[in-house]
Amino acid sequence: MRMWAQSHLCQKPQRITSVLAAAFALIFLILGASQSASALPAFARKYGLRCSACHESWPMLNYFGQKFKDNGYQLMNERDAPIWQNPGYWPVTFRITPIWHRVSTNKVAVDQSSNGEAKITSSGFDLSGLDFHTGGTLEKNFSFYVLPSSDATASFHFETVMARLDNISGSPWFNVKLGKFELDNLLSEKRILTLTANGGIYQLYHFSPLNDGNIFGQMGSNQLGLELMGHSYNDRTRYSVALLSSNNGLVGLPYGSESYSTFITGSQAFDAGKLGVDRLGFYVMAGVAPTYYLTTAGAPIGGSGTNNKGYSREGFVGQFYFGQHVDLTVVTQHGEDSAWFGQGYGDFVDSPSAICNTPTGTQPCNNIPGTQLIQGARNPTWNGVLLEPHYVVNPQMILLARYETIRMSQQSTPGAASNLGNISTYTFGYRYNPFMTSRAGFAYHGEYNWFHWDGASPVTNTNLTSSELLFGIDFDF
Amino acid sequence: MRFIGAILFTAIAGLIFVASFTATVSAQDEPLVGPKPPVVVKPMESHIGNITGHAADAKSDYRRYCAGCHGDYGDANGENAVWLDPKPRDFTIATFKCRSTLTGTLPTDEDLFNTIGRGITNSNMPIWNVFTKQQRANLVAYIKIFSPRWEHEKAGTPITIPPEPPVTIESISHGQALFAKLECWKCHGTHGEGDGPSASTLTDSKDNPIRPYNFALGGKDSRFKCGSTNEDIYKIFMTGVDGTPMPSFADVIQPNDAWDLVHFLRTLQVHRHSKENEVLTAAHGVIPPYVNKNPPPAADTNKAPGGGQ
Amino acid sequence: MRTNKILVALLTLLVCPSLMLAGTVSGKVTYTGTPAHQKPIDMSKEPSCAKQHATPISTETVVTGANNALDNVVVYVSAGATDEGQVPAQAITYTQKGCQYIPHVLPMHVNQEFDIINDDQTSHNIHPLPKVNTEWNKSQPPGTPPIKEKYDKPEFIEVKCNIHPWMHGWFVVLKTSHYDLSKEGGDFKLPNLPPGKYTITAWHEKYGTQTADVTITGNETKDVNFTFKATAY
Repeated sequence: MRMWAQSHLCQKPQRITSVLAAAFALIFLILGASQSASALPAFARKYGLRCSACHESWPMLNYFGQKFKDNGYQLMNERDAPIWQNPGYWPVTFRITPIWHRVSTNKVAVDQSSNGEAKITSSGFDLSGLDFHTGGTLEKNFSFYVLPSSDATASFHFETVMARLDNISGSPWFNVKLGKFELDNLLSEKRILTLTANGGIYQLYHFSPLNDGNIFGQMGSNQLGLELMGHSYNDRTRYSVALLSSNNGLVGLPYGSESYSTFITGSQAFDAGKLGVDRLGFYVMAGVAPTYYLTTAGAPIGGSGTNNKGYSREGFVGQFYFGQHVDLTVVTQHGEDSAWFGQGYGDFVDSPSAICNTPTGTQPCNNIPGTQLIQGARNPTWNGVLLEPHYVVNPQMILLARYETIRMSQQSTPGAASNLGNISTYTFGYRYNPFMTSRAGFAYHGEYNWFHWDGASPVTNTNLTSSELLFGIDFDF
Repeated sequence: MRFIGAILFTAIAGLIFVASFTATVSAQDEPLVGPKPPVVVKPMESHIGNITGHAADAKSDYRRYCAGCHGDYGDANGENAVWLDPKPRDFTIATFKCRSTLTGTLPTDEDLFNTIGRGITNSNMPIWNVFTKQQRANLVAYIKIFSPRWEHEKAGTPITIPPEPPVTIESISHGQALFAKLECWKCHGTHGEGDGPSASTLTDSKDNPIRPYNFALGGKDSRFKCGSTNEDIYKIFMTGVDGTPMPSFADVIQPNDAWDLVHFLRTLQVHRHSKENEVLTAAHGVIPPYVNKNPPPAADTNKAPGGGQ
Repeated sequence: MRTNKILVALLTLLVCPSLMLAGTVSGKVTYTGTPAHQKPIDMSKEPSCAKQHATPISTETVVTGANNALDNVVVYVSAGATDEGQVPAQAITYTQKGCQYIPHVLPMHVNQEFDIINDDQTSHNIHPLPKVNTEWNKSQPPGTPPIKEKYDKPEFIEVKCNIHPWMHGWFVVLKTSHYDLSKEGGDFKLPNLPPGKYTITAWHEKYGTQTADVTITGNETKDVNFTFKATAY
């Protein structure tokens, strides 16, 4: 079953489109009667634009929305300062999604099973976390964004907190942002169109090899740092350079005493005539992170990390439009971690009980001076690609699909299976906005995700497969 | 196959569940009840350079980007229009602010194309310069479906703009005299701050209050509603801003005098970097009184504006 | 000379035999009730105009005369006339003097040329606000030549000067040459109506329209009077 679907998705996208179309015909029969779609209603309310003006489909941005964001959430019409708003205006948006989902995982650690693993399938009603967005301008060219975000139990953390100086010296080429923010990914994970556990993130943005200790190179996680960003007046050309704490976005100093990484991206868009605006770009995330921590009573001391080791992820991004309805986003990645990460060092603070192999036996994964790597340990490297086609039926309805695959190119441990830790996943779904205003967003959401991870089952270290079907009502106001 | 069954079952159950919500939404929350007639997309075209825009190709873009303010029927009755000031353009009357053509005539396709890409400062009309040229051309064609004028009338002929003479303090001085003589200050104020004696009484052609442009307010990049170049200013006052109190001066200003007025108006944008402000600074910030070498017989009885800093 | 006149008369008889039997509709426009009090206009912001008026003039939305006469009513043949296509050759004028429009209401024929004149020592902008015809807005500083315009569709068009917000007038563009403006006692007269059935319409800018049907059979004068109900606000 899943092989059928996978092979069709990979090789015959036209056929999958027609299959999807047939499935959605039913949806239209039921939902077809309703009228007029919508996103961050805080901005929509401020500017009186429909959600569809900035979002290809909420929450994914289109080029106009990207320019609006690059301008510091400003339209640049001399009406951006909050003084132009009614005093009662407070730029706040809540977003939450009640859902029903069915999750099936083929290998879960189970005591009652002869080999310690069993398949578990369960379904039920559920909630997403609550996002509490507030953002906009404090004055013309002074922007901010604060996003306390909770998990499904209302336990909050700061997802985003940043202040930004826009158009320094009147030039769109210089904007500086300080705080915790999403890296300037052209394909924004925070504006992903999907909601399932494995399909609701970009695997490419969070990948590390199995048993790798580098938790820092996650370009999909919001990071703490300083970003210089610039763009041309019409946003066709854009770049950004960020200096980041190698803390994986966590506040305080739980990791390195002096560990930084960088994220650099640039892109150029072209007016492709009747096709639309097509964009090509690149990104590089590279940095160092600690592997050795001082301890007290055996417990690692935050902020004491030294013995920095390097890592990098880099690739190309393309956003291609093919007329008014069809577009395709492509992201590639080549990644490399230091062999020390590959052997499990780096994550000592979060996993103090993890055990690493050395030529002289095992020890906690703390790279204390004198620690040696096992014979032949290498830098793990991998390559990945993400393809996300959309079919925008109209501004209210989008059909979407995604395929991601990440293949190990070089394993850190000699002799490890060449496919160990490979990931393949596909997702398809729809979002339908039954109405379209500038006051609230509302989308009927349906999605199916299939996820496969080689050698990652918890006990037998065999292939892990899971699938998730999800229906929900995504709304914000 | 068992899995397909499970998907179908849950899909149907889920959809019936959400369909009940849909019904409620359309019955209660739609501010405009009753069936709306479909928009008839006439086969209008636009021609910008070698690009031909087709109305039919802009249907989705119009709905996505424009209809929220300008309305599905182009009548400026989008759901946001009531909250906007100034109000969006009503395409059904085909009166347009930014034209290179004389007052009362239809603008050229290029005028409309430029307005879309430029946006209108101090209003909610965004700068749609991320669009492809084709998209903008299509939208120009689309807004023509709303008024029969586009079927019966041809666009006006763009006014002829002579080459700009050099900016001199004399030119600025003459411009200032014109600003006084033509009584621009009655609305725009003696310093161009939009505070002239008639400013508070102004209404647009739909009787909505409207402010005269405040030249002094903008920053280094301050723009006019219809552009930011000297040529744009020239066009604004020569062709008028139709639908607003700003009249056309095409019949009353000679082309070269118009350039002098342009140069003076630039000095009212006190924060903007401009050649005019440099010339004024070089003259120690003082505009000398205008000396007319061929004085007209009739004396000007109106009071002169102050020094236009 | 004399022969010429006879020739013209003969030609006229040949071309327009109906002129031989031409009726006239005449009458008076009056009001009942109490019309709204017209407020004096403060022209202090425009001294060159203020000094032209010894006593401040009032708004002209409702202008009345003795015996309940109502002025500035356009009375015209709205149906029945057969000679609608004849555009009068002579231009009419619309004068801005003392920051007032003279006349306050200017009836005209479709496509008839009219001249807008500025007699003041101040700039005006002439901003008629048509919905059917094309909207334009022109500046007219003192001493500039008349603005020549015409309208090609019948319409009641409000005229404003944005610089002087109290200035207010009307262009009444009609597709008939049978019209008159009631003035100085509310009298009007529509001569030269060939025999036939006509609908006569009276239009007032505030009180709306009234109609009357009249039949002309020959050389006669029919009396048609209109009475508008005035409102106090």
